[in-house]
Amino acid sequence: MNQPHPFPGFSHAIVRWGVLAALVGVIFFAVPLMAKVYELRVLNNLLLYMLLGAGLTIVVGYAGLLDLGFVAFYAIGAYSYAILASAQFDFHLPFLLVLAIGTILAAFTGLLLGYPVMRLRGDYLAIVTLGFGEIIRIIINNWNGLTNGPKGIARIDRPDLLGWQITTPRDLYLFLLVVVILVYTLVFRLERSLLGKAWRAMREDQVALRASGVDTTRLKLLAFALSASIGGAAGVFFAASQRFVSPESFVLHESILIVVIVVIGGVANLIGTVIGAFVVVIVPELLRGYQDYRMLLFGLLLVLGIILRPEGLVPQRYGIGWILKKTGWR
Amino acid sequence: MKKVVIAVAGLAIISGATSASGQDAGTFHIGAAAPLSGPQAIFGQGLTNGMQLYFDQLNAAGGLPGGHKVELVKADDRADPREGVLVAQKFCDDEQMIGVLAHFNSGVTIPSLDVYGGCSMPQVTVSSNPQVTQLGFGHVFRAANDDYAQAQLSASYAIETLKEKRAAIIQDKQAFGEGVAKIFEDKFKALGGEVTSVSGVNSTDVDFGPVITSLKAENPDMVYVGAVMPQLALIVRQMREQGIKASYFVPDGGFTPDLFAQAGKDNAEGTLITFQVPPYDSKPELVAFAKAYREKFGKEPDTYDAYGYLAAWIVGETLKGMSKADVNRENLIKALHATNLKNSLLGIDVSFTEHGDLKGGLAFLYKATDGQFKLVK
Amino acid sequence: MELIQQTVNALSIGAIYALIALGYTMVYGVLKLLNFAHGEMFMLGAFFSYWLIAQVVGSSETLSFLQFVGIGLSILFSCLLVGLVAMLLERIVYRPLRGKPRLSPLLGALGMSIVLQNVVQISVGPGIFAYPTLFGSTRIEIGGIGINRTAIVIIGLSVALMAALQVFLQRSRTGVRIRALAEDHEIARLIGIEINKPIAAIFFIGGALGALGGVLYAANYGVMQFSMGTIVGLKAFTAAVLGGIGSVPGAVLGGFLLGLLETFAAGLLPKLTGGLIGTEYRDVVAFAVLIVVLIFRPSGLLGRPEGTGEASDKKDF
Repeated sequence: MNQPHPFPGFSHAIVRWGVLAALVGVIFFAVPLMAKVYELRVLNNLLLYMLLGAGLTIVVGYAGLLDLGFVAFYAIGAYSYAILASAQFDFHLPFLLVLAIGTILAAFTGLLLGYPVMRLRGDYLAIVTLGFGEIIRIIINNWNGLTNGPKGIARIDRPDLLGWQITTPRDLYLFLLVVVILVYTLVFRLERSLLGKAWRAMREDQVALRASGVDTTRLKLLAFALSASIGGAAGVFFAASQRFVSPESFVLHESILIVVIVVIGGVANLIGTVIGAFVVVIVPELLRGYQDYRMLLFGLLLVLGIILRPEGLVPQRYGIGWILKKTGWR
Repeated sequence: MKKVVIAVAGLAIISGATSASGQDAGTFHIGAAAPLSGPQAIFGQGLTNGMQLYFDQLNAAGGLPGGHKVELVKADDRADPREGVLVAQKFCDDEQMIGVLAHFNSGVTIPSLDVYGGCSMPQVTVSSNPQVTQLGFGHVFRAANDDYAQAQLSASYAIETLKEKRAAIIQDKQAFGEGVAKIFEDKFKALGGEVTSVSGVNSTDVDFGPVITSLKAENPDMVYVGAVMPQLALIVRQMREQGIKASYFVPDGGFTPDLFAQAGKDNAEGTLITFQVPPYDSKPELVAFAKAYREKFGKEPDTYDAYGYLAAWIVGETLKGMSKADVNRENLIKALHATNLKNSLLGIDVSFTEHGDLKGGLAFLYKATDGQFKLVK
Repeated sequence: MELIQQTVNALSIGAIYALIALGYTMVYGVLKLLNFAHGEMFMLGAFFSYWLIAQVVGSSETLSFLQFVGIGLSILFSCLLVGLVAMLLERIVYRPLRGKPRLSPLLGALGMSIVLQNVVQISVGPGIFAYPTLFGSTRIEIGGIGINRTAIVIIGLSVALMAALQVFLQRSRTGVRIRALAEDHEIARLIGIEINKPIAAIFFIGGALGALGGVLYAANYGVMQFSMGTIVGLKAFTAAVLGGIGSVPGAVLGGFLLGLLETFAAGLLPKLTGGLIGTEYRDVVAFAVLIVVLIFRPSGLLGRPEGTGEASDKKDF
């Protein structure tokens, strides 16, 4: 309290609430009104990858476990919705129910995968998760009776939220925005919780943590399950927005992209995850004008970015907590 | 300082792209979306080369009646359904765009239908998955056959003409490869043949030694492969090297000079390929296409070059029949439904069923003979 | 009989996996870096040698003795060139990221992988190139078991080079330094071992071996494409981990083992399961075996077991 506040005016509650209201107004009302539909769809992709990034941040950022097969959980969520709410088997379960099923199924798979491999160190864990992701994709690609194999599942139901049919990209934008705000608040609270602190301690020195009597296996499993559940939920949203799923969407490349999201912005920092999703989703779209040189430039920007800022584009101290503090919320 | 320079350069790269595309109010845009980067870029490039060739010819000849030019706007979908949907919306938002030739992969075309349907965009695709035209959208047209014609032709030729009884099938577990392989299998069995084994391989594989070794013990009369290049070439090469003499049937992806280059001329000899286009020397329009293609790209046209040209041709020739004031998305859809074009590359008059499927599409069977493709049926 | 033939099939693909796995394992042993751009060294090896060989051979149908020598030199030269590219990569991308968070160099490697693939795609096109069968495609049959001449060259050359590498690491000064670095970075630096040169040497050797893998692979299968490094790189990475990443003999063992696993899975799965599980589940078998091996031996088959007091034990990365 001794230091002068950097933005003195912000300490007034009215100003703070006013700014927040303006921000909410712009994001919720002005953006969907002003943006072209294409831009809205790009934003929806951004929101989706922000979710995936938040999920992976728990495992990679907080717990410090490199997971290269995150797309498996995304796939499980997506196929849950595709199978349970489409013409495939003529099941048409309600959206929220499938969301719950997909999330729990993904979390359960996370536990299933996590349990036997928790003894593994960093890069061994990386290849095991990578292998797991590939196993899931290959099974999806080959189990024609359930997943329709490489042809994919079309005619997936439009999501229906207790009477609100999500049909246009604008509806989806508003819906995903609410979901992202909820999930980010949740994950941020997790970061600040005792569990989050335990994860950080484990990331720094798991031998010491184990010596002090903490069960690191349980910590790791919790991280896996929580992150998998967010991945699964993102998968449900993806299937509901595309209304078509096929194995092509769940390749290894996708897992790697999500790792890029987590790392390029700054590991274990949710603001960094947002920036990372921006880099991975928006930048390639901005580069479209370069035609053939697009992916080359994308690769170059990634390399330049990480060399210039090896800790990620946003340093860890500038997280959500920093913003809240600076603006006087905390 | 150095960091600042690099950072500024990075930002300049990003912002530079947005101003890169030029606009000319007097031109119609036709969108072309296909994988232009990544492992499948080779197919997307062939496809868009064919389209470009057609529109270059059209514009060089003065454009549409009334002097309107048509600009082909290409976009990379990276064979990724998610990116395909973004491209589709970008096309929809382009007010000068009156039609699209999109996409290459069935798995990208299907999710794009919803988007194009939403902005009444005429969509001409070469994706062969039967589902594409069965989902109840009225704006989509398939400028090619679905998988049935060619796979059934292979089966009936093997049984009825070559009197072969036992077939082994290899397929790459992709929508196209699995689709044709299944149709072939059903037809072959229906005609009284026996299928000794169906082996799934990865679409990225190059080593088929293990599969071929176990296939050798089955001693089949023929092998049918549902896949694309280069796998079609690699499998026949490794089969012949292991001494399997069975006859070798492949779908249309094999109709490319690459088959001889990649398999070796001797190994490819006798390969039976189905293709939707009659021989390039059989009709004046085919001769003209092949000649123009060679002049522009310095090589023989591949499978997808021909399909790309055909798709562009269908849209372009239909536009020619419309008066300038009438040209808009809705009217082009109507015109495509009513279109009846003579002298197409396919050797048939092009018109569409109410679902948008090509009417009366043919399949031709070619035999690789001495580095050339000779029509056999 | 079929089993013996399948084993022969497995050896040639296994030898290539092993060659590339060596690059992964050596870099990992010293820098604890998963060099995802290593697969691109493999790809560059194939492309450089393709170009050089085309210059040597020209359009001649039969080859003179000089041209044979020229082809050999082309291969050698392209391996050296790729070795230099790998060194350059280390200098420009990985060295600035040394000592930074473990995932940053990984990201740099990913970025470079994208860059290199796209540079090649843009400069030569996305096409699939027919690569010359350098060693002839004649098949040698011994008692009903056939093997390609190229496959013999692959197996022979890789085994010889791997043995040479092992001798180099055990006997030469640079080799000893490399091993000291792999043992413990900090202590090696404290006792005055200069670290940049051995690291550059590792990248050079790894890159050159990867490039040779690319040449042999392209010559064996007759095709190459700018994206060829992705899958093979992934396989080699798997092989390195299976054998125990950081261990040179482990990489060799892992490579051959992965080749055998894949081959037998593809050849025997339908027979063993009565057609229930087809050949398309080949990679599932390979990865499942990998996971099971790691559960029982968490550091791979020949990797150093956990808990030897390495600093890196405390952190996952």
